[in-house]
Amino acid sequence: MIAFRSLILALAVLTLLAACATTQAPAPVEDRSQAGHRSPVEEVRASAPEEAGGLQVFPLRNPAVDELIRGAEQAESVGDLDRAAVLLERAIRIEPRDPELLQNMAEIRLAQSDWEQAEAQASRSFDVGPRVGELCQRNWRTIALARERTGRHEDAHRARERLQACRVEPPPRF
Amino acid sequence: MLRRLIIFIFCFLLGLVLGLGGPWVWWLDREAGQRFAERQWTQNSRVFARPLELYNGRVISLDDLLVELDAAGIRPGHPGQVGRFSQRGQALDIHLPGFVFADGPQPAIRIGLGVVDGRVQGLARADSGNAGLVRVPPAELGALLPIDDSERTLVALADFPPLLVAGVQAVEDRSFKHHRGLDPRGLMRAAWTNFRHGQVVQGGSTITQQLVKNLFLSPDRSLVRKFNEAVMALSLERRYDKALILEAYLNEVYLGQDGPNAIHGFGRASEYYFGLPIQALAPEQIALLIGMVRGASWYHPVRNPERALSRRDRVLDMFLETGLIDAATHADSRGRSLDVNIQRQRRDQRYGAFLDLVARQLRQDYRERDLSGTGLRVHTTLSPSAQRRAERALTEGLVKVERQPGELQGAIILLEPASGEIRALVGDRQPDRRGFNRALDARRQVGSVIKPFVYLLALAQPDRFHLVSTLRDAPLSIPVAGSEPWQPRNYDGASHGDVALMEALARSLNQATVALGLEVGLTPLFRLLRQLGVEPGKDPHPSAFLGAIDLSPLQVAQLYQPLAAEGYNTALRAINQVTDAGGSELARYPMRIRPIRDREALALLDFALREAVTSGTAASLSWRLPADIGARGKTGTTNDRRDAWFVGYTRDWLGVVWTGRDDNAPAAISGSATALPIWAELFSGLPVSSGARPWPEGIDWYWIDWPSPLLASEDCAGARALPFIADSQPGLYSACMNAADPPSGNRRWWQR
Repeated sequence: MIAFRSLILALAVLTLLAACATTQAPAPVEDRSQAGHRSPVEEVRASAPEEAGGLQVFPLRNPAVDELIRGAEQAESVGDLDRAAVLLERAIRIEPRDPELLQNMAEIRLAQSDWEQAEAQASRSFDVGPRVGELCQRNWRTIALARERTGRHEDAHRARERLQACRVEPPPRF
Repeated sequence: MLRRLIIFIFCFLLGLVLGLGGPWVWWLDREAGQRFAERQWTQNSRVFARPLELYNGRVISLDDLLVELDAAGIRPGHPGQVGRFSQRGQALDIHLPGFVFADGPQPAIRIGLGVVDGRVQGLARADSGNAGLVRVPPAELGALLPIDDSERTLVALADFPPLLVAGVQAVEDRSFKHHRGLDPRGLMRAAWTNFRHGQVVQGGSTITQQLVKNLFLSPDRSLVRKFNEAVMALSLERRYDKALILEAYLNEVYLGQDGPNAIHGFGRASEYYFGLPIQALAPEQIALLIGMVRGASWYHPVRNPERALSRRDRVLDMFLETGLIDAATHADSRGRSLDVNIQRQRRDQRYGAFLDLVARQLRQDYRERDLSGTGLRVHTTLSPSAQRRAERALTEGLVKVERQPGELQGAIILLEPASGEIRALVGDRQPDRRGFNRALDARRQVGSVIKPFVYLLALAQPDRFHLVSTLRDAPLSIPVAGSEPWQPRNYDGASHGDVALMEALARSLNQATVALGLEVGLTPLFRLLRQLGVEPGKDPHPSAFLGAIDLSPLQVAQLYQPLAAEGYNTALRAINQVTDAGGSELARYPMRIRPIRDREALALLDFALREAVTSGTAASLSWRLPADIGARGKTGTTNDRRDAWFVGYTRDWLGVVWTGRDDNAPAAISGSATALPIWAELFSGLPVSSGARPWPEGIDWYWIDWPSPLLASEDCAGARALPFIADSQPGLYSACMNAADPPSGNRRWWQR
């Protein structure tokens, strides 16, 4: 698939650049005080833009799944999580390796308090995804939350550490 | 005196009629109302394939698309009509019937598309032009466990073609809209016509009366029954509206026999006589079915074609008289032959092996009683086009390799590893034969197919093993309590000395594998198999390292699923969703995945299985496949060549092929010569997506002085770049390395 090939290319370039980077910028510390007021999904998504300063990778998407994603977002906005999951599953059947779709599914599972699936889907999204940038942060924030909710605090801590490494500074432009 | 007697008798009879008849009528009235309300047709549970998603860029061959349309009941014809399509070269014009999907209904729509270079292009809707994503309604695979002797496909009134709804009234009961259950004028008219013709050519019963007769009463002709019928007809009309009565009638009317089963309703009749959904019928076909209402056997289009044809034409005349069709349509329809296409064999036979699995998975969640008769709609994962390819690959493949015709049997399971959804299942070389389902029930020794799991256990201990660890392939004798010591031999009878771990797997060396197995242990192997969802039995003998374990093809598929799915385990599924007859969801079987802990080890194993395909026991794949589809796989051959296996996967598909004799006798077959060609034939026709498998984090690449476990550099002759779990790489340098040029170490993969 062309989309995937360009994703791989983007990845390769990125990882190369990452290897060139000598220092890693300090990532902002999680604001834990706010976390208590937000739902898990809000926490995963809301903090993302604050940290979106680093390098971002946006994989190309199959336009055929766009309407499914919009439908899922709409269903979620009116609280119909089951329907959102059904639509996302249909999209994933079409594009089984789209990291964005997998992460969206992870967040629906999070909202449904299905911690096990939230973690599994986010982990899969990370495996096939860019492993840097906002999506990577959403992946690891989801994993960390799911682990916290299931009482695996050490594993959750490791996930928070891995989250910091998602932030890669863009290469200087000349 | 006489007068008084007459008056007395008259009063007595009147009292008798009022006293007995009153309650009788009251009872009939109540009965009719109640029984109509409670009527619940037993309806077969219907099973559907997965719907085909169409969008621009979708990978599919034109052949497969045509197979999918055919399976979905969409036939060549004029696409102005629902359920028909036309083809010009690679361009298709398709009128898709409507369907109620799990996430909402899709109305009947007409679409155009082209298939260019194996991809869908220019997908557009005839009405709006825009079409991002369109589903072909799923093929109906058959019914589950029919328990009674009638067959029905319930259709809602609104879903019947208007010509059928109006036509039935025109022919059977012209004043249906106005009468109250009985139609005295119609009765008179019928009597007059019959009198004129000297025989019964027209019935006087209203549609309501016919329904009452079909639903509640015995078929004998007597005055009492006529009376009951009339009372109950009046009663139904008083209680229910016309639409409900007409809908019940259209679904109840008797239209013939399919073997021992009675065909009730136009929905099923359309499928039976024409192999088409009711919405797709042409006027002359509708006329034929309506004509059969008068006598399904008397006007049977196959047994009594002439009578059926003249009856049909008579019905077409009535359509014209009442203005339902115009003169041109009338002339055209009358000119057509009967054109019946009886689907005697219900589709259950065709997809029997898969339906078997569906029934078993359902039975885990439902009672038998709920499964049959209540009209469940089961949405499954089967792909009709993949199924067709799998059936053909097995049937034709066995013919090519067997010593005598019919000697060998086989089974195939094909699935999408990421979701665990089973797309094809073949349990017999004659796919439409019902009976022993080898894909599910044949438990056969798996042979070398088990080996990757021995190696996985080793690779999951990166402090002890990596892909170039040295294994010793030499004769060995293992004491077994209570029997002779076990002395495994290699397939070629020779021993190969020191070999690299990856090579031992790729070349499927027995002695090296047993040596490795003894290092990792039998108990951990059995524990791993159980963790992956397969019960290997209770008798841990070291021969299990070489696959002396009996498993079904389905179990083997379950074992390989996480390997093919890049480290995510999921239960294999044949069902996505179950709804009731009205489409409301009863159960959903969502995609649930579980990450395997040792995903790095799994990635190394994947690399080694790629080696088996490029230079090991499965190397013949490279010329058997038209292109490099990135296949990984493992052959398996058991003692005395009784069983031949090939398990292989790509990014999109996982396929298991087993062949052997049903009596388990030696069959002179082997994994690479018998099972692999069948797998290759199947996979060479499947749609492929390209792209590389992502490596997990924590894998580093090093140049190795292959096959020695020594670090080397790119410049060394014969050096190979291999993946290692971080910090598990060898510590020694090859002699080819110049001391002045130390290895750069930790080279990442793009630097290869």
